[in-house]
Amino acid sequence: MECWNCQAETHGAPFCPACGKIGARAPGATWFDVFGLTPTVDVDAAALDAKFRELSLKLHPDRFATADARERRLSLEQTSALNTAYQTLKDPAKRVAYLLSLHGVDLDADQGEGRVTMAPEFLMEIMELREALDGARQRRDLDAALRMAEEVKRRKAAALDEAMAALRTLLSNPDAGEAKRTAAQALGQSRYFARFLQEVEAMEEEALA
Amino acid sequence: MSFLQIHDPLKPKGRAVGIDLGTTNSLVAAVIQGRPRALPADEGDALLLPSVVHYAKDGGVVTGRRARALAPEYPTDTIISVKRFMGRSPDDPETRKLGPYRFASAPGSKVVRFEVAGGNPVTPIEVSGEILRALKRRAESYFASAVEQAVITVPAYFDDAQRQATRDAGRLAGLEVLRLLNEPTAAALAYGLDKGSQGTFAVYDLGGGTFDISILKLVDGVFEVKSTAGDTALGGDDFDRAIALRALEAWGIGDPSPALVQELMQAARTAKEALTHEERTELAVGNQRFAFSRAQFEEWIAPIIQRTGLSCRRAMRDARVTPEDLDGVVLVGGATRVPAVRRFVAELFKKEPLGDIDPDQVVALGAAVQADILTNSEREGEVLLLDVIPLSLGLETMGGVVEKLIPRNTTIPAGAAQVFTTYKDGQTGMDIHVVQGERELVQDNRSLARFTLRGIPPLPAGVARVEVRFQVDANGILSVSAKEQSTGVEQSITVTPSHGLTDEQIEQMLLDSIEHAEDDIQLRQLREQQVEAERVLADLDRSLAEHGALLSPEERARVEEVASTTRELARTTSDHLALKEAIARLDEVTRPFAERIMNKAIQSALAGHAVSEFERKER
Repeated sequence: MECWNCQAETHGAPFCPACGKIGARAPGATWFDVFGLTPTVDVDAAALDAKFRELSLKLHPDRFATADARERRLSLEQTSALNTAYQTLKDPAKRVAYLLSLHGVDLDADQGEGRVTMAPEFLMEIMELREALDGARQRRDLDAALRMAEEVKRRKAAALDEAMAALRTLLSNPDAGEAKRTAAQALGQSRYFARFLQEVEAMEEEALA
Repeated sequence: MSFLQIHDPLKPKGRAVGIDLGTTNSLVAAVIQGRPRALPADEGDALLLPSVVHYAKDGGVVTGRRARALAPEYPTDTIISVKRFMGRSPDDPETRKLGPYRFASAPGSKVVRFEVAGGNPVTPIEVSGEILRALKRRAESYFASAVEQAVITVPAYFDDAQRQATRDAGRLAGLEVLRLLNEPTAAALAYGLDKGSQGTFAVYDLGGGTFDISILKLVDGVFEVKSTAGDTALGGDDFDRAIALRALEAWGIGDPSPALVQELMQAARTAKEALTHEERTELAVGNQRFAFSRAQFEEWIAPIIQRTGLSCRRAMRDARVTPEDLDGVVLVGGATRVPAVRRFVAELFKKEPLGDIDPDQVVALGAAVQADILTNSEREGEVLLLDVIPLSLGLETMGGVVEKLIPRNTTIPAGAAQVFTTYKDGQTGMDIHVVQGERELVQDNRSLARFTLRGIPPLPAGVARVEVRFQVDANGILSVSAKEQSTGVEQSITVTPSHGLTDEQIEQMLLDSIEHAEDDIQLRQLREQQVEAERVLADLDRSLAEHGALLSPEERARVEEVASTTRELARTTSDHLALKEAIARLDEVTRPFAERIMNKAIQSALAGHAVSEFERKER
């Protein structure tokens, strides 16, 4: 990639190695690239936080308040990307979902090749959980809801662990189709559990109000 | 061959200041010799400028304490607490709360308009613009140089419409708004929690009309807001209102006049402040009296304070902290002086709050620091503020359901993209409705704006891939861009704000204000009064020289004192109404003197003539 200012080769770095001007993001750069990491399942949280602060101090629009319009725009783009990358990589569930998306799996898609269908038995389970929660809500039984939430938290953590294990396999062996499917299903499950927990939290908030 | 570019430093644009545009009071501050200081903002070098704007019949505008003094006499022409109306529509419940104003009704209007004397109805943006203009002028006179850039603070919980309105008000006042800074963040910055210290802090900001709670984490020079919550329709004004409503009840007045409301609210405010130090107080309006105790007051305001608790708990939950995790709590806003509020905060956060910087000044001081950081190249590598968007941004989808694009408490600047497609063959346009809020249905959230995309290349239905990019900048304001992916064609976008003014309307206002040269009217009227003052003072000087003996030493001293004040005022003031009043006062004080001179003249004329001669002449 060519620097807009001095035409030197930037290799997609946020600042031109030759003249130091802030540059555009390289097309196709991943969130891992933002942090100079190769795609990986496990990330050192403290190191990620430190790198985020280091990059923010350099890229943030506040550092370009009196610069010209082009640099301000580039700063805005780079910082938005940095913030999204940080949010994605910091949270294990989002990180796993992102890794899967890099391998063509899209958990949010309704149609198309990348979509994930959950096993019918699992969906039944979720429905039953929901009904039980509805019952608790109608009876205003917050304790019952909280007990269910504890159990679901455990299951969510287990599902996420399963997804991460499967992904580690996939990353060292890109052809492992089975591992990909396992990871997708497990992550899908953890998401359903997460949504369930959100509903319990909403019930809690209402009760406090 | 590569060229080394020597970057021209941009021409400095004068001083940059920090402005706290508050509900009750506004301040302007700047960093002077390394320290942030509030600048004189009102007459008599007061640091607080009451956020009050009075519109006079002759088209003049008065701001600050003088305006507030005029409120009881001109209740519908004097706008107090305009911040409550920023970014709101005429049928917003907040707009309808107890108050004296007349609203111009324009069916389907999205913006509040006050009916005031002296001209067309004014929007809250214009009213705020007057306050900002007054602050700008004071800062310029303090520095004896241009002030064109400012950091203006907003409640953290202000939504997009309210932020845009604030920025537009800055534009009308001739200020380049470097940054809209969230008030709690500004306060945290002012507490200087400098680069050396680390920790997690809560900022509890209860102003006149808004409440914010923010949880911030300071690590290695980066101040990161972890979460923010609040209520833009909750503040110290509600404490005043609680008193006022009970006074009206006690007096059996069901339909108070605007004048009564204005006076009562001011009396209630004074009574509230008295209760900080006294157990009982009494307010008086006209010949009506209303006595009450601090205990009663605390009972009335308890539900209001409880509401702040809800936001606090939510903010802590979003930030995943407990009261024990916090290293400190900071109090901001005049209303935090109320003892019941302090007790509540100490109990909720399980620690005594920090409040050694004047809670009225702390936000402006923080804004000044930020303004300095942004414009002073010597402050490279200084602390960085990372703020968040307070409310989720979402899109209207099929069935009136909201699809959240950018969740609340996302660090800003933030971006998100969504790919849309057409549903009709050859469709070239698309309507996107953006809302802000946490509810599931579009109707329960705040409508932000409609973005109409045009220029989609005509393609079969479902083939076009329009990527819409949502970008929230560091001010928390949204902008939208779109590109059709298969052809790379950029879409043109027209924005229709749901609760604000379009760019064109603002431009028009700017042009109008230049044309009508409201400043010129002010200047002309001022000049007239200055000429009048000169004449009156010159006359007085002559009279004193010739007839000074007619006054006793005390009387003379008094007359000279008033004359000297008037002379000083004529020299320094830009407020023609103030000068007019001073001249009238001078007239009154010198009337006895004038009468004596007249009598003496008559005496000497009478001497040697018969009364009968004069009687005929006088008829």
